[in-house]
Amino acid sequence: MPTHQEPLDHLDFNPHQPCRGISTNIEDYFQTRRQFLSRMGMGLGALSLANIIDPHNLVAGDGAGKLTAGPLTPRPTHFPAKAKSVIHIFAQGAPSHIDTWDPKPSLSRLSGKTITGGEIGLGSPFSFSKYGQSGLEISEVFAKTAAHADDLAVIRSMWTDIPAHEVATVFMNTGSLRIAKPSMGSWLVYGLGTENQNLPGFIALRGSGLPPGGATNYQSAFLPGVYQGTSINTQAPSVAQMIQNIRNTYVSKGEQRRQMDFVHQLNEIHAQNLQRDAALETRLESYEIAFRMQTEALDAFDINKESEATRTAYGIGASGGGGGAKGPSETGKQLLIARRLVERGVRVVQVWHNGWDHHQQLKTRLAQKAGEIDQPLAALISDLKQRGLLDSTLVIWGGEFGRKSSRDRNGYDDPGRDHNAKAFSTVLAGGGIKGGTVHGSTDEFGSASIQDKVHPHDLHATILHCMGIDHTKLTYRFNGRDFRLTDVAGNVVKPILA
Amino acid sequence: MRAKAFFTGATVAATLALSGSLRAAAPATPAIAAGDLAFFESKIRPLLIDKCYKCHSKESDKIRGGLYLDTREALFQGGNTGPAVVAGKPDESLLIQAVRYKDEDLQMPPKGEKLTDQQIADLTEWVKRGVPDPRSSATKGAPAAYSGVGKNHWAFKPVQKPAVPAVKNTAWVQNPIDNFVLAKLEANGMTPNTPAERTRLIRRVYFDLIGLPPHPADVQAFVRDTSPDAYAKVVDKLLNTQQYGEHWARYWLDVARYSDTKGDAKGQDDLRYPHAWTYRDWVIDAFNSDLPYDKFIIAQIAGDYFAQYLEKQYKSKSTSLPAKPTAKPKAVVATDVAAEPAVEMDKMEVVADRDPGFRRMMAAEGFLTLGNQFNGRKDDIIGDQIDVTTKAFLGLTVTCARCHDHKFDPIPTKDYYSLYGVFANSRQPVELPTLVAKVPQTPDLLDYLAKSAALEKRQADLKKERDELQAAIRASGGKGKGANKAAAGKIDPGKRQQLQKMERELQRDIGNLETEHPGAPARANSLIDNPRCVDFPVLLRGEIANKGDVVPRRFLEILSPDPKKRPEWREGSGRWQLALAIANPKNPLTARVLVNRMWQQHWGAGFVSTPDDLGNMSSPPTHPELLDWLAATFVENKWSIKSLHRMILLSAAYQQSGENNPAFAEKDPNNKLLWRFNLRRLDFEELHDSLLAITGSLNLNYGGKPVDIGTLQFAKRRSVYTLIDRGNPPELLTQFDFPSPDVASGRRYETLVPQQALFLMNSPMVIETARKLVDRPAFAELKSDEERVTLLYLAIFQRWPTKQEVALGLGYVKSNPSGTEVTLSKDAPATKITARDARPAAKKELYSKKKNRYNVDIGGVYDNKPLDAWTKLAHALFQSNEAIFYN
Repeated sequence: MPTHQEPLDHLDFNPHQPCRGISTNIEDYFQTRRQFLSRMGMGLGALSLANIIDPHNLVAGDGAGKLTAGPLTPRPTHFPAKAKSVIHIFAQGAPSHIDTWDPKPSLSRLSGKTITGGEIGLGSPFSFSKYGQSGLEISEVFAKTAAHADDLAVIRSMWTDIPAHEVATVFMNTGSLRIAKPSMGSWLVYGLGTENQNLPGFIALRGSGLPPGGATNYQSAFLPGVYQGTSINTQAPSVAQMIQNIRNTYVSKGEQRRQMDFVHQLNEIHAQNLQRDAALETRLESYEIAFRMQTEALDAFDINKESEATRTAYGIGASGGGGGAKGPSETGKQLLIARRLVERGVRVVQVWHNGWDHHQQLKTRLAQKAGEIDQPLAALISDLKQRGLLDSTLVIWGGEFGRKSSRDRNGYDDPGRDHNAKAFSTVLAGGGIKGGTVHGSTDEFGSASIQDKVHPHDLHATILHCMGIDHTKLTYRFNGRDFRLTDVAGNVVKPILA
Repeated sequence: MRAKAFFTGATVAATLALSGSLRAAAPATPAIAAGDLAFFESKIRPLLIDKCYKCHSKESDKIRGGLYLDTREALFQGGNTGPAVVAGKPDESLLIQAVRYKDEDLQMPPKGEKLTDQQIADLTEWVKRGVPDPRSSATKGAPAAYSGVGKNHWAFKPVQKPAVPAVKNTAWVQNPIDNFVLAKLEANGMTPNTPAERTRLIRRVYFDLIGLPPHPADVQAFVRDTSPDAYAKVVDKLLNTQQYGEHWARYWLDVARYSDTKGDAKGQDDLRYPHAWTYRDWVIDAFNSDLPYDKFIIAQIAGDYFAQYLEKQYKSKSTSLPAKPTAKPKAVVATDVAAEPAVEMDKMEVVADRDPGFRRMMAAEGFLTLGNQFNGRKDDIIGDQIDVTTKAFLGLTVTCARCHDHKFDPIPTKDYYSLYGVFANSRQPVELPTLVAKVPQTPDLLDYLAKSAALEKRQADLKKERDELQAAIRASGGKGKGANKAAAGKIDPGKRQQLQKMERELQRDIGNLETEHPGAPARANSLIDNPRCVDFPVLLRGEIANKGDVVPRRFLEILSPDPKKRPEWREGSGRWQLALAIANPKNPLTARVLVNRMWQQHWGAGFVSTPDDLGNMSSPPTHPELLDWLAATFVENKWSIKSLHRMILLSAAYQQSGENNPAFAEKDPNNKLLWRFNLRRLDFEELHDSLLAITGSLNLNYGGKPVDIGTLQFAKRRSVYTLIDRGNPPELLTQFDFPSPDVASGRRYETLVPQQALFLMNSPMVIETARKLVDRPAFAELKSDEERVTLLYLAIFQRWPTKQEVALGLGYVKSNPSGTEVTLSKDAPATKITARDARPAAKKELYSKKKNRYNVDIGGVYDNKPLDAWTKLAHALFQSNEAIFYN
């Protein structure tokens, strides 16, 4: 039985022999100085230990070099494909298709009158025109985007399962109604890796607060954590504030690199004792990304590095400027960042544009919402085209479901539309998409998709296809089952493919 | 005899008369003739049960063709293709056509399992006789379409305490948990790991129980204590610390979707819940005082009743009445659940002797009242209350039944609206009750009361103005057509907006007073019942305008001891009865759900991987017998959570090392069989608190108002006290998987994202913590650099370093370009207290109209003085995996 005075190094409590000569007596380190000094009888023979190993060998080394074959390394596609990255603009709140991409003249004629089901019809307060050589009919609220009509494919026959925002939003992002499953972005990075090892492969740009359904929308669920979306609050006034702790205000990069390499050595010892564990490796990887992010992100997120002309084109600084929600400023900033990110090889960028839930005041509020995205979206397409990036970037605009052709009963004098899971529109452009296309249709009032219906699983299959992935082959074994984004469903919407 | 109760023909007829919606009304039959009855019982009933019920009964898991064959009405109502029978006309009856196998598209039973000629003849004869059938729908008003799917799911079956299995290696067994674990391992040809090394075990149990690392002196004491109960003593010591409750309460607060703000507040309401923290503190207290879990449930659903009950009991005691209280639950509220005397009410000394503890029970109702306010939409608020109640206590997703019968579990929409009625008859009192009965008359209180009275006056004046405006609008004939233009002309068009602005300002001032005033008494976010309680109708497809049948307030069918005789809750809202029904020891889910939660928290994975859903969509439990054994034992131990902790922690299974075994890892990569202890990542709270604890800067104050993340307080208090704004949860916390405060979350993700790394790499809070560790006399006075490295290992990893590690550390320090000399910095505290900290919480931008949405500064504002080599070493250790994982 050891007494209080005995050193502990003979006890078999530590598989790693404590350094002989170093006190294992904790009071030596943590009690008062007097107590401490009274117990300092031990030899210090181990001093020479430090000299056995060259300290420079220990701390040197290029930590970054070791990690090139990580889980984010670019991987081959299943078949050749044009699109290399995705910009997914999530118009959250369920935008009305009838007022944007799916004109319904016969509904306009019956506006204010009873239509099917005893409901009062609500014709769109917006006018539609034909654009481009394709003659795609688009609402005036998207007049600027419409200038690119010949690049757009509009799916007018979308439908989904449940017309509740949170559930449907998560469904559109993960293909799952109940169980938390990986988001589409996570699947894509899992399948393809990412081109830029200094930035996360999947970045979700959002305003303050979480989208409905929370982080589930960009999480990796049962896929390894390294595939989860990194969410960035783009409303922060400066880049340093968008990404917390992006800057070390104490030491230089070089100093930090030395420290990080040292940390890796510590981790190596720790992992040996646990004979490696996926989580330990993942964390190591996350440190390397973090380290590189410091330089790369400060640059990538800094839209001030763009010309005044470019920023103006995206609507930054326009009405409601300074980050106000009423003009295109905020969304313009998001889309410009999105372009800078795909340009740098980020695989998936999701842009959250919330607030499309127009139960009342459709006329003013939908126009305002569309006004926030129309100019930036048009600018994004031009910009990508100009830089030769549109072919390799798949741009998607869409929400979680659509709206009814009738007045919402709660709309009072200034009506809006209620939820409708049976019909909505999704717009695609860029990599692998045949422009100037309309796919599918809804009934005469736009109440339900009737022809060539497209379900979120089908949309997912199509997006994966554009990226060169066969959705039935991208699987992950979890809980004894091979899971995939499209569950057991999904048909590629071939007519919209180039 | 199979039939339990025969309904008379009259009953059948009466039932039918009620069900006007039947597609084809079954012709009323007189009382069944004895011969017909005998024929049915001997020939038909066995045949239906044997050949048809698998797909056509309420008991079946999957209903085919929408057809039920278990009541006479159902036969006549038929399925998707129409009525199954036409009385007296076998040739016109689909049932007979199907069994005859004449039509290729209509053949039953399917897949060639054709009935015998005799059986077909019997059925034909039965229809010919006019379908004499004594069976009737057993549950009055059960929806015809409700199939009762998934009733046979294991979690709905009563908990049976299984026998403890025998094992070969009996020497390993510390308590029965080990028998269950080892039996499975042995059956798979596996063995448990060796016991964890002692420094690792104590670190594990400290983080697990109190969320803080052990002080190195505790590590040493434990390593030295060779007595057989050394470990048990540590467990008991930790369970008796206040830090235990602070740590475990946080996981319950995740489940309770706790927040200090309302999210989408109603109208012009202030965003804050000024007294939310009294609920948080109640939860902490409940864990620390080991409040039995059944009482824990009752208080959170019916704390107002519970407080009354305890008060009565307390008074009867203080007047030295018989020791055993005469007051039974029945005395508090008349309740017809008395048939199931479930909860033992005479064991309440735990709380009752802490006068006036009983009033605190009202604060427990914050569980129900602190959800999102959904802009005041009552249906959504109640939906949220049903969601949190059923997920938290029952592991059921009852809200799925709001618009349609649950798709996977036997929860009909009617059950949802039965619970809806319970919550719809409850409301918050206009003035929330104070936590103590008599608030001491301090000058602060008097000042508060005066200011409060002034605000009330403002409120009354405002109401008067608003009423006047309303009256004027009414007089003008409203806004629509035919409005009286002359009268309308007198109305100031800006008046309404002006009043709204005044209302908003008033609400903000009330919020400020309640939040900031030193004399503002702490209050309970409690509930009371409406004076007159009524039942509510089903809302078809969840639509307000689409009302269905009125349903009584009562418990879920699937969890009722006798689903056919469910007591209706007519006294009060029914919250008390609901609480008792959930806390009933016979409830098959309550104890299982809790045991699964606790196991998950200790092991990192539960028996069932979805703690908030044990229904049909959940994965089967990894150790079903152990789960049931623990659930039964938990109830036997009077729902003591601390006993459950003790049992789990003292098992040999828990004390295994976390080391890997490649052969077993191949066989069971996710460690479902528990052949090792799991590697655990610290959650945000553990990380934050341990950084502070390691440097001795953790402020151990207990309870109280929340702490904003931008203040220096955040860098001192335990993080359970962080202010949580559900509209904008602190980003730093969400980066470390802090769950959404809008939904019950029984499990946190353990992701590893770069932002976590950035926090540890760059956050001044972390770097200054490292500095604090080395910038003090005890460090400077150590005799050698080896000692210094050792100290850092002891402080941060709670173990001694190896030779290799000491050398490594020294190498790093010596190769550092700056500050290898150990000197004390002259100007002591590195952190500056800024004016920001001095400002009262509510005046911060957080709540102002232009609220600051970015957590720019975490834990205040810091200087950036250069770092010396030792600080860099300490900082490196904080960033290493060992600092953020335990095993």
